[in-house]
Amino acid sequence: MVNDNGQLYTIEGVAAGMIMLMTAYLVLGATSVYTPGDTHISDMQLEQLGTDALRMMNTPVNGTSKSPLQEIIENGDTTAAGNAFNTRFLDYVNSKADGGTDDLHYMAEVTYRNITDGGTTGSYHLADNNRPLTGGEHPVRVTEWVIADKKIGSNIQQDRAVLVEVLLWRD
Amino acid sequence: MAGLNDDAQWIVMMGFVVSFSFFFLAMLLNQSTVVGQTTAEGVLEFPKNDIRDVRSVITESSTLSLSDADAQVIKDDIRTIALSRKDAIVDYTITPPTGSDLYTHISIHYNNGVTEYNENWTSP
Repeated sequence: MVNDNGQLYTIEGVAAGMIMLMTAYLVLGATSVYTPGDTHISDMQLEQLGTDALRMMNTPVNGTSKSPLQEIIENGDTTAAGNAFNTRFLDYVNSKADGGTDDLHYMAEVTYRNITDGGTTGSYHLADNNRPLTGGEHPVRVTEWVIADKKIGSNIQQDRAVLVEVLLWRD
Repeated sequence: MAGLNDDAQWIVMMGFVVSFSFFFLAMLLNQSTVVGQTTAEGVLEFPKNDIRDVRSVITESSTLSLSDADAQVIKDDIRTIALSRKDAIVDYTITPPTGSDLYTHISIHYNNGVTEYNENWTSP
């Protein structure tokens, strides 16, 4: 005859052990790990920086003049326009508070609607800072709408809306 | 359980109560991180800059006092480019000041499949 004293204590011990195991499992499962999928949180800062830079470029100095970005678009697909964009954009995004410069790279394109080609979209390369995309970067895309008075994809000079797209990355 | 001494049942019950309260506290802790994560993801998915961008170009176009045909060209530009480069459907209607109403009204619609945004803008 087995002595069956203490069965309640055994059951309680087993139940408490299981509860402690479950609790430990839940607490460990609650810790968050910074996985590669969460890196877009740091991209948000770069995205905001680029958006702000483009918005500054698309702000006229007074009510009657055109914004620098608008003038750049109206100069069209030219080297002068690309250089003007390059100087101003790098000045805005690479400035640091301590007077030094940051090391951001970019590639800018302009997308427009081609009326003469039945309303399809066309694009041209505006500028970059001599750093071709190799595919290993992790760029963010920032954009700015610009209204420019120019013949773009049509034979008539008039106000047109185009989209300036910039791929911005740090390496 | 014959012959089992059943004194101190209160102590046993209290043991269970404390254990279960720990268990539920741990469940609350577990859920709270998930709540923070889904909120953050919702914020990240919201196309804040796209909407601000398209708002600003539409309001800018309304200040240019264009003819109907010229305004339609800009509208077609915005709609075509937004669809091809931003995967968003954009539409808007500009109502210029008429008679006693001194304000320009713009009704803006934006939909990128995840976020739908509608606004009635009135010129200041």
